[in-house]
Amino acid sequence: MSAVEETIKDIIVKIVHCDREVLTPTATFKDMKADSLDMVQVLVALEDEFGIEIPDEDAQKFQNFSDFIAYVEARVAEKKGNA
Amino acid sequence: MLKGKVALVTGSSRGIGRAIALKLAEQGADVIVNFFRRRQAAEQTAKDVEGLGVTAKVIKANVGDPEKVDEMFDIIGSSFGRLDIFINNAASGLPRSALDLDTKGWDWTMDINAKAFLLCTQRAVKLMEGRGGKIVTVSSLGSHLVLPGYTAIGVSKAALEALTRYLAIELAAKGICVNAVAASLVTTEAGVLYARLAKEQLGEAFPWQTTPAGRLVAPEDIANVVAFLCSEEAFMIRGQIIIIDGGTSLVPFSLTSKGG
Repeated sequence: MSAVEETIKDIIVKIVHCDREVLTPTATFKDMKADSLDMVQVLVALEDEFGIEIPDEDAQKFQNFSDFIAYVEARVAEKKGNA
Repeated sequence: MLKGKVALVTGSSRGIGRAIALKLAEQGADVIVNFFRRRQAAEQTAKDVEGLGVTAKVIKANVGDPEKVDEMFDIIGSSFGRLDIFINNAASGLPRSALDLDTKGWDWTMDINAKAFLLCTQRAVKLMEGRGGKIVTVSSLGSHLVLPGYTAIGVSKAALEALTRYLAIELAAKGICVNAVAASLVTTEAGVLYARLAKEQLGEAFPWQTTPAGRLVAPEDIANVVAFLCSEEAFMIRGQIIIIDGGTSLVPFSLTSKGG
């Protein structure tokens, strides 16, 4: 498991108050019982943590947790590449 | 009319904010398009603003976060060096009954809808000092009427309206006009979503399907009044809440699509 994935899980657990075990690759925001405010706060926390941007236009495309991790990892790698 | 003026419109990627940005641009103002979550939409607004022959600048900032507000105004200061018009439009909130509200939802709504108006105004005034300016905030009828699931937003809008009056007086001598507009349900993505969620989650139909004027309020209806409040003709209007609702708030019953 990547460090990015660990951080994502830490942030989701903290904001959504769900069990870490819920965060399987196929989990959806619905499985996490996250409401739309939780989702926005998770995205904003990740943006601040990694210095990336996750606009809603992209966030709406995530089907499950593994899509989400892959997207954030790609943005983080992109940022490192530009640094 | 507003040629050479610099205007900041918070939350102007879409909906009411976008309509205001375009209206001010049409009148000649350069526009700072602030957004939080929809970059593509914000860039489209900026492109459309530029299509009207003025300058646009996109700045991402969650106005509910004091640090992000400071960063946004630092950029405005370094890019434009001044501000003539500040439109406090950005808003957020979830449909919740009062008993289901948690502190997270309450704080989120109050921070973005009410606190941001104070923090942005404090910074905006520094960029208006010595020249005067116009400040308009976007409220809603939910500040004084009870709407389904609207508790936190309604309270935040009530705070916003009270703040409008206090700021109007405190800033009057500086030649800065502060006013608000308050609408009934507006035909925006957010407005329609809110009405749908209130029905789905709380089982309460939104009371307004039309207005006595024969249709719901459109974003452009708000933008027209905001543009007037930003004009010199409105100089003596201070601390007022201008209601834009096609007469809705005057009728004590729900309106159907057939009218009152």
